[in-house]
Amino acid sequence: MATIRLPTPLRPYADGLKEVDSGADSVLEALRELTQRYPALAPHLLKSDGRLRPYVNVFVNDQDIRGLNGEATELQPQDRVMIVPSIAGGSGAALRPVDHAALRANQAAIIGSLAGSYIAGAPWVVTLVALLMLLGAARARPGFGWLYLALRRGNLLRPDVVLDNPEPHRFAQLLGGFFLGMASVAFLLGLTAIGWGLAGLVALLAGINLFAGICLGCAIYYWLARLHLPGFSKSPPPGVLPGRRPAA
Amino acid sequence: MTLILSRSLSETIRRHAEAAYPEEAAGLLLGTVEGQDRRRIDQVIPLSNTWESDGRRRRYRLEPRDLMAAEDRAEEDGRMILGVFHSHPDHPAQPSAFDLEQALPFYTYLITRVVAGAAGESRAWRLADDRSRFDEEALDLPADR
Repeated sequence: MATIRLPTPLRPYADGLKEVDSGADSVLEALRELTQRYPALAPHLLKSDGRLRPYVNVFVNDQDIRGLNGEATELQPQDRVMIVPSIAGGSGAALRPVDHAALRANQAAIIGSLAGSYIAGAPWVVTLVALLMLLGAARARPGFGWLYLALRRGNLLRPDVVLDNPEPHRFAQLLGGFFLGMASVAFLLGLTAIGWGLAGLVALLAGINLFAGICLGCAIYYWLARLHLPGFSKSPPPGVLPGRRPAA
Repeated sequence: MTLILSRSLSETIRRHAEAAYPEEAAGLLLGTVEGQDRRRIDQVIPLSNTWESDGRRRRYRLEPRDLMAAEDRAEEDGRMILGVFHSHPDHPAQPSAFDLEQALPFYTYLITRVVAGAAGESRAWRLADDRSRFDEEALDLPADR
């Protein structure tokens, strides 16, 4: 009789037994026989179609059956079959590709538009930028994404895709749009200095992001996530300070 | 449910987690079960993270042969593999959806948060019988005798 050895976590499902004898001729047959005798083991070993679960490793005399004949590996009476679970896991918060060229084009367009509106004395441009940024945040893309796409089509810009969290960038844009919205309200109320001050602040932060690679809005997002604020769930990519640009 | 882990063994886990940063580190917890579902860990085995190198910052996997060998040795020493420890670099010491998907019953999952290369909080978890969630296990860290 071949002997099937169970790993510690599965023994409670087989009356606490460490080893079970089997007269089966193949690995799959032995496992089916085992799960018929101890039905509570089945969900941990076999898929609903009766085949071996992918996370379960089976060794016959210290040889992985993947290197033998798989589930069909034949068993001899003196064989020792070991069931070894795969142990895996991890924080799992998968990063997604984020095109930082699009983000930088957005920042440059924001700075250019705000500077232009100040020089031309045209506060309505501030309102326009506010709307573009808020709309962009709502659609989860840069407000000046259309400009970036046009520049890319003309081969003037190339994508710079890095693994990152998109959410903090979206939040940063929302924050910028909000401040420009406040600036627009200030202009309407005749508080011109406050309006230009707020617009200047947004342009300054976009500049720090563009030239130094530090996204303050993103850093605020990560700090709020640390305080477990609902809706703020992401941590910075491993080894990256909050708000800093991840390495490509 | 209580996990008893001496300060020096906890230090071994923390050092393993810090050395692997920004990747995840993992290993095994061995010991004995005492009354009232108290688990006393008296050996930790730091192991290699064998996940493909591009995913190790967010994932870990242990080599089945390491587990097999540890189980054989544990039995000779009168111990049991009681669980698995792993680190979450720049992420809370809470099981993720992926941890839940991969978890085995019975094992204690000890998760240590590592922030900017320094080991932080550790928390212990056990899979609920219906696989729907993890339940937190009290963590007792006595000073070494």
